[in-house]
Amino acid sequence: MKVRAIALQTFGSLLRNKLILLFLAGFVCVVLLMMSPLLMAKSMAGTISVAQSQGWVLSMLSGITSFVSGFGSLLAAWAAADAVSTEMRSGTILAVMARPVRRWEFLLGKYLGVQLLMLVYVLAMFALGYLLAWIGGQAIQSTPWVPIVYPLVRYAVYSAIALLLVTVFHPVVSFGIVPVISVLISVFGPSGEVSFVPRWLHAAFYAVLPSTGLLSETRFLSLTRASLRPEPWTHHLTALVYGLDYALVCFLLAAWSFRKRSLSRL
Amino acid sequence: MYQRRFSKERLPALSNISFEAATGEVCAFLGPNGAGKTTSISILMGFLFADTGEVRVLGEQPGDVRAKAQIGFLPENFAFYKYLTAAELLRLHLALAGTRDAGADGLIAELLLKVKLHGYEHLKIGKYSRGMMQRLGLAQALLANPQLLVLDEPTSGLDPAGRNEVLELLHTLKSEGKTIFLSSHILPEVEQICDRVVIIDRGRLVRAGRLNELLAGGSRVEMIVDAIPEYLDSVLIERGAAIERGPREVRITIDAAGKREIAELLWKAECDVISMNPVKSTLQEFFLQMVGQREGTA
Repeated sequence: MKVRAIALQTFGSLLRNKLILLFLAGFVCVVLLMMSPLLMAKSMAGTISVAQSQGWVLSMLSGITSFVSGFGSLLAAWAAADAVSTEMRSGTILAVMARPVRRWEFLLGKYLGVQLLMLVYVLAMFALGYLLAWIGGQAIQSTPWVPIVYPLVRYAVYSAIALLLVTVFHPVVSFGIVPVISVLISVFGPSGEVSFVPRWLHAAFYAVLPSTGLLSETRFLSLTRASLRPEPWTHHLTALVYGLDYALVCFLLAAWSFRKRSLSRL
Repeated sequence: MYQRRFSKERLPALSNISFEAATGEVCAFLGPNGAGKTTSISILMGFLFADTGEVRVLGEQPGDVRAKAQIGFLPENFAFYKYLTAAELLRLHLALAGTRDAGADGLIAELLLKVKLHGYEHLKIGKYSRGMMQRLGLAQALLANPQLLVLDEPTSGLDPAGRNEVLELLHTLKSEGKTIFLSSHILPEVEQICDRVVIIDRGRLVRAGRLNELLAGGSRVEMIVDAIPEYLDSVLIERGAAIERGPREVRITIDAAGKREIAELLWKAECDVISMNPVKSTLQEFFLQMVGQREGTA
């Protein structure tokens, strides 16, 4: 009941957060800008070959969905960092923590509030994907849960990392570290090729950093056909449990770090 | 201890602070600005942690949910979610207190009436004045029928009428047997309701004890006599007495150490001494004396 109350209040606060609204407005502008070449390709369908038109459309679709997905990671990180730090900066946390609320319950409420926001975002992202496919003359034939659950779990990981960081660092620093982690993941992940770092360091990064590539829904979505690749359910289960486990570890570390944190104003 | 980031310098925020407040008492926590009152209250509430020492609130560790369930807290410079209305905020706090929804509307309406905010329950808190915010803070502190009230500057931002209302409210709560721990700079008001006083300055305990015991130990005595001959005025003034002539009596205030000598002088002049009582200082005088002493010794 307490956690639910904090989660709903956090969700309400995030929906009114001017910075997040500004981010989203910028995001909508960029998506609209990116859609113009897609619409142009669509309008030129009569003058270029069908294969060429389809290639353009699909590359546009791929670009927009990647941008939307990447923006979601930043949004998840910022929302998590801001949800806690705003309470501390404004002093509203004092009235909340004077109630019989444990510190981990407060953090869990904040975390779940962020996940509610990300659920709305993912559903909007899902609708946008269908809209873009419809504009491009393609049909997404995948099972709907994949493009919803995978990004949600990925954002859960990013927001848990940001939550952990904000219990120690300033929110801006915490938010700044998340894109750095994303870059490190791309460098040290399975597809990354780096020759200038020692093998042990590479192995350490590989072990510690979350494998967000594993949690990417695009692994299952072949955009050339926009359909779900057949995968055994155990594969999905393993990947999703890995993501949730990583998020849980980050959350537990955040709760541990927060348990003796001074609640004075930042 | 305070420690600045990236600095090895450590400053003691509080040192050798020890006091207790009994059940049903109103305990005033006093000190000049920067004395460490809010830091102490933050430790009591579990927002900050003491480096050493032992703190118990209602028999539990600070921050323990069993204790917090019995505490109503009003922080200094109260901050709320500005997009909520008073009713929504109180409903949120009821949920945080773990109270079920049944009867919530009635309780909220009753509390808003108590703090004179009825009629404003649907106005966004962001549009409230400072005084209204303070009243709302008091309402949320009283929300879960707490056994202990911790109020950091409860009359801050209120006009004189509002301060009186808060005082009346505190009187009522005291009569209901609530324990109240409050910090305030408005000492004449505090003196009206408090049973116990704790004074700190620069992070150290200056005095603690029951109010009547602390104020009774004044160093001056007031004598009331029917009349004194005029020639005696200069003699008494030479001995440090203050003379106040009234229509029916004369009040002579003197240092307690010289009361015997003055009494003998009056006796020899055949003055009729009606009464002789120790002068009870006010809390404000006592506070200034205590803090002033420390200024002098610092």
